[in-house]
Amino acid sequence: MTTHELEEFLAPMRHEYADPRSLILPALRYAQGDAGWLDPQAMAAVAEATGFSQAYVESVASFYDRLYLEPVGRRVINVCVTLSCMLRGSDEIFEHLADYLGLDGEGTTDDGMFSLHKVQCIGACDRAPCLQIDAGQQIGPLEPADATCLVDDLREAAAPARYDR
Amino acid sequence: MPVLNSVFRHREFGDHLTSLVEYERAGGYLGLQGTLAMSPDDALYAFHRSGLRGRGGAGFPMGRKASFLPKDTGKPTYIVCNADESEPGTFKDREIIEHNPFQLIEGMTIAGYAVGCERAYIYIRGEYGVQGEVLAAAITEAREAGRLGPDALGPGRPFDITLYRGAGAYICGEETALLESLEGKRGQPRLKPPFPAVAGLYGCPTLINNVETLAALPPIMHRGPDWYAAMGNEKSPGTKLFSVSGHVLKPGNFEIVLGETTLRELIYDLAGGLREGREVKAVWPGGSSVPVIGRESLDVPLDYETLNGVGTFLGSGGCIVMDDSGCIVRASWRLAQFYRHESCGKCTPCREGTGWLAKILGRMVHGEGRGEEDIRMLESLFGRISGRTLCPLADGAVMPVQSALNLFRDEFVRVASEGSPRPEPMMETPVG
Amino acid sequence: MVTLTINGRSVDAPKGTMLVDAAKAAGIEIPIFCYEPRLGPPVGACRMCLVEVEGMRGLQTACSTPVAPDMVVNTDNEVAKDAQDGVLELLLANHPLDCPVCDKGGECPLQDRTFRFGPGETRTLEPKVHFPKPLELSPLVALDRERCIACYRCVRFSQDVAEDAQLTFQERGDHTEIATFSGDPYEGRFTGNTIDLCPVGALTSSPYRFVSRPWDIKNTPSVCAGCSMGCNVEITERDNEVKRVTGRPDPNMAVEEGWICDRGRWGYPALRSADRIDSPVLVDSVGRRKVLLERAVAEAAGVLVNRDARVGILLGDPITVETGFLALELAQRVGAGPAMVARMGIPGTGLGPMRSLPGAQMDDIDQADVVLVIGGDPCTQQPVAELRVRKARRRGARVAVFGPRPSALDDSCEAMRTVPGHLMDAAGAIRDRLDGSQRAVVLWDEADLAAEPDAAALIAGLVQATPGARAIEMCADTSGPGLRALGIGTDADLLAATEAGEIDVIVTIAADPITGPSGDRWAQALVGVGTIVEMASHATAITGHADLVLPLLTPLEEEGVLVSMTGRAQRLRPGAREVPGAAAAWEILIGLTHRLGTPVPDRTPAQAFSRLAREHAPFAGLDYEVLGRDGAVITPPAQHDPDSARRDPQGEGLLVIACTPVFGDATAHRSDALASVVEPTRVGLSPAEADRLGVRTEARVRVATPHGEAVLPLEVDARLHEGAVYLFVGDPAQRAMRLLPLDRGPVRAVVGVAAREEVSA
Repeated sequence: MTTHELEEFLAPMRHEYADPRSLILPALRYAQGDAGWLDPQAMAAVAEATGFSQAYVESVASFYDRLYLEPVGRRVINVCVTLSCMLRGSDEIFEHLADYLGLDGEGTTDDGMFSLHKVQCIGACDRAPCLQIDAGQQIGPLEPADATCLVDDLREAAAPARYDR
Repeated sequence: MPVLNSVFRHREFGDHLTSLVEYERAGGYLGLQGTLAMSPDDALYAFHRSGLRGRGGAGFPMGRKASFLPKDTGKPTYIVCNADESEPGTFKDREIIEHNPFQLIEGMTIAGYAVGCERAYIYIRGEYGVQGEVLAAAITEAREAGRLGPDALGPGRPFDITLYRGAGAYICGEETALLESLEGKRGQPRLKPPFPAVAGLYGCPTLINNVETLAALPPIMHRGPDWYAAMGNEKSPGTKLFSVSGHVLKPGNFEIVLGETTLRELIYDLAGGLREGREVKAVWPGGSSVPVIGRESLDVPLDYETLNGVGTFLGSGGCIVMDDSGCIVRASWRLAQFYRHESCGKCTPCREGTGWLAKILGRMVHGEGRGEEDIRMLESLFGRISGRTLCPLADGAVMPVQSALNLFRDEFVRVASEGSPRPEPMMETPVG
Repeated sequence: MVTLTINGRSVDAPKGTMLVDAAKAAGIEIPIFCYEPRLGPPVGACRMCLVEVEGMRGLQTACSTPVAPDMVVNTDNEVAKDAQDGVLELLLANHPLDCPVCDKGGECPLQDRTFRFGPGETRTLEPKVHFPKPLELSPLVALDRERCIACYRCVRFSQDVAEDAQLTFQERGDHTEIATFSGDPYEGRFTGNTIDLCPVGALTSSPYRFVSRPWDIKNTPSVCAGCSMGCNVEITERDNEVKRVTGRPDPNMAVEEGWICDRGRWGYPALRSADRIDSPVLVDSVGRRKVLLERAVAEAAGVLVNRDARVGILLGDPITVETGFLALELAQRVGAGPAMVARMGIPGTGLGPMRSLPGAQMDDIDQADVVLVIGGDPCTQQPVAELRVRKARRRGARVAVFGPRPSALDDSCEAMRTVPGHLMDAAGAIRDRLDGSQRAVVLWDEADLAAEPDAAALIAGLVQATPGARAIEMCADTSGPGLRALGIGTDADLLAATEAGEIDVIVTIAADPITGPSGDRWAQALVGVGTIVEMASHATAITGHADLVLPLLTPLEEEGVLVSMTGRAQRLRPGAREVPGAAAAWEILIGLTHRLGTPVPDRTPAQAFSRLAREHAPFAGLDYEVLGRDGAVITPPAQHDPDSARRDPQGEGLLVIACTPVFGDATAHRSDALASVVEPTRVGLSPAEADRLGVRTEARVRVATPHGEAVLPLEVDARLHEGAVYLFVGDPAQRAMRLLPLDRGPVRAVVGVAAREEVSA
């Protein structure tokens, strides 16, 4: 992600905000779309395109769960583990997926294909237990077998052109 | 109990009103039309008369909140729609956005006319990726049709909406944290006063309302505030969406007239009841940040005041139900972990206290409790965490645990000495 | 005034006062951590100051609740005490119990408040949050994230005071940590203030790590002699060594507000640098040898008493007013008649109109509606002044910076880069900015305006014509206004007399003329001087030529008064006496008068100061007691200095712009602590000039003025002006200052590529 690309992305929305600081979050989200996470270069580009310090940009980025400052897998599997999902078996889904992916709890598979994360309520308790691939549709209710099928399908699918996490 | 006139057009006229044509065919924009025919002050008065209360959780009268905005400050006035729906157990705004985005857009336009706002924002949580796309498309469509843009409120009278996506932080549902996030900062609550009505977004007068609140404005302005106020009771007029989840057979959103439906009816008649042989053990009726209530409170009619009467809150209407297969300590622990994860870290009691609660409850669940000593520790910590912070997150973290301990003390004492094995989760596929 | 009740006592406080301050004024302590008004509005984060306000729901933070009439506040009832106890218990929940090995132990607000307001014992047995520690935030500042209580102070300092935007919070909740971008070092001129601000041992000074414990040390309030700002500091002594310099805990709000620069903070290791002179040296027919101080003074007196000796006394920098005064006294008592007393290399004439302007104090900048910086660069010359200017801008003042140098203020203020040598060009813009202002403060650079008397006269006229406008002279010397008030002038006549062979004995006090402006001329002139007596703390270029060397104490070790650039006379107090064989200049000077048989009546600097105050009108009415804690402002006599003719630069080539960053001065070069931030002595060129020469950054170039030449490393900087060569001076070893005219007036230099091996002559 270059500063120039970011500037082009931000140009049409600049007039919508009285303070250019507001551009930081959209810029971070957009920059993350490239590689699926925010490496220091991407954050530096955000800093330059928005006119704020790199430290400040990183400080903002690190506050939010869905901005990744460390590399994550090609797809992030977000398993909701908050109360409604827990009551409906989210822990079992998570453990089943971790087993299936060969992970010891949360983490990224060795092949870099998947990151498995426990997340807090994603607003789909009617579909509990549910999960979400990146920031995609909340999927549920799931049985452990559904979850592994989903992983298999994803493994076959191409990486998204741009990430929305 | 049934809702005669739904406030939400998609519930009345087919499930999906995701195009402007469909929405207008279902009566969309008649509310705005009526609003534009009156003065902004009359529109504000209509909000007031409807008795509409904020649907995000605090239940503050919407018309009064709007009337706090100072006029002629020389600064722009902003409207910010809080679509950061992150309260555990709550998914009603998601439904409105997915199925009926134009009603929200129209509602914001109406509010924009009333308070003299030209630029409004919808702050939607980062996890709502798909929902964000639906809203973005609807905003674009409305703009292309002239419903937003330079002439949205009549020739030369602009109003437009900017969609702003969060990136994963529950605290951004707190209005001042939301404003900070929208201003490109870490989403940490501000010291109040000044309140957002006076100095909100970019230090300007700002009206912040929840999706459900703003989406209620079109029918109110179309059918008249008296129509709305006639539903429900005096202090809790209108309808409210309840999200029901947990150990119910038919989880989902249900719109009820406030004060006319009991919690029992919501759970058993609307949400499909419980599994065979199971009984209600605990209900968090207004999202997870409210005191939990037990089966003895099932017959309360759902409205703001009555729920207060049984020691809890209507909150966001995110009703989480746990049947007697569940362990209350385990449930409390899970919620404590949620609040620990979501504490922004600004205030000491919340930053340090939420983690402490989670650690104690975790020990208890895992059989490493210290019996009564842990109970006493918990009890002494509650008051050191709640009521001592900038924003209500810490109170929200304490209330469900504290109320659970009060209500199920014996179970807490038992788990504090014996631990609690993980119960079988409910794996039944929902009905319908 | 508002009357309210705190703990049953009636308390009066001005409207708008926060409860915590109202209580403090009434002698009631409400514990705090995050509250620090110098950092801006309260954040209300730590919750330590929760108090009960009757009639208000819940507890209130006393730091953010303004007083109101008839308010009834309880800070020590059961509810408030439980809140204090509770917040401390929670603060300690994740705080490591490593007080015994923590540098903050014993002077730690968290420790103190826990003792006073907190729980008697710990109830937590949960595992604490762990971070690897300590982290090197910079070579000077260490960060222990486990100890951090997330009080926001350091972050707010970085963001809202220094505005360097480097220190931030990362992550959230109980994983919140202080960090820089990607772990980069925290760089800046003011980083050490975060250590003073930290209420726990999270941020500590690396050079002070494990050096001392609070019960082993003695703290002495004093003044920094690093530049003409006059920042108040506290010196920490142990075992006769200065172990630490910090901002004064009770800041001088009219000067530094408690902020000091890193050069001032970490310059003290220079006291122990290898070139420190630890003993007097006598050179005579026997040879060159160390002698006792008493003998050395006697030898000096022996030279000075000679009826035929024509004596010159040359003062360098820093010099206390007592030393200046006693040098004048000595001059009356020596050799063939009154000695010439002069200040080395100070900027020249033409400043009369500027110096006649009404003066301002640093805190006047806070209230200013317009702040103009004309010439110089406070950010590098008087760093703490930068913080005031930034504060004024944040408060809404219009701030404009004029001059030929790039400045750290450029990004956030109006920057008007003038063509080198043409400050005059800024006159129109200055007039515009001053137009309609009511409380303008103009900071002007002594050296730059002395080089352009025509601009000085014009600008002085503009300021004079602006109602309410006041001026601050950014002085080249630490105590310039003080020595000027004593009537001590430039060294032009002394040098001329020396060159003419009319001087037999030169006494230098903290002065190295060979390294200073026109150093080559001085070197030449000194050849004809019979006896050179040098008083210096560190070896200089003349130490090897001196017949007698008397070791001096440094300003961190001596007593006396310095007069800052705003004319504020403040007391130096000796923090330690590192070199037993050394003495303060005032001690030596008094000793000499005794040896000469015409003793001055003074035995102490306090007595000398009282006497000079009686004899010199600007100091009238002052003595050490009157100076008190925060000093007193003197008014130097008006200067009749009508010469406003434009001065043409000497020589040919590119105009020389001299830059004198304190981070590149002799002390900075001598202090090993500052090795990571010291500014090298170098030459700066614009890319266009560098292209013309065909050189790039790090190349070595030869710079030649009519006063001498030097070979120095090059830095190419796009912010520099074409047609000029920027000469960053400071390292005495490089002797770059000597390329300048004696009065630092305008001069041109021929710049050429140096051969690979070529070094300074």
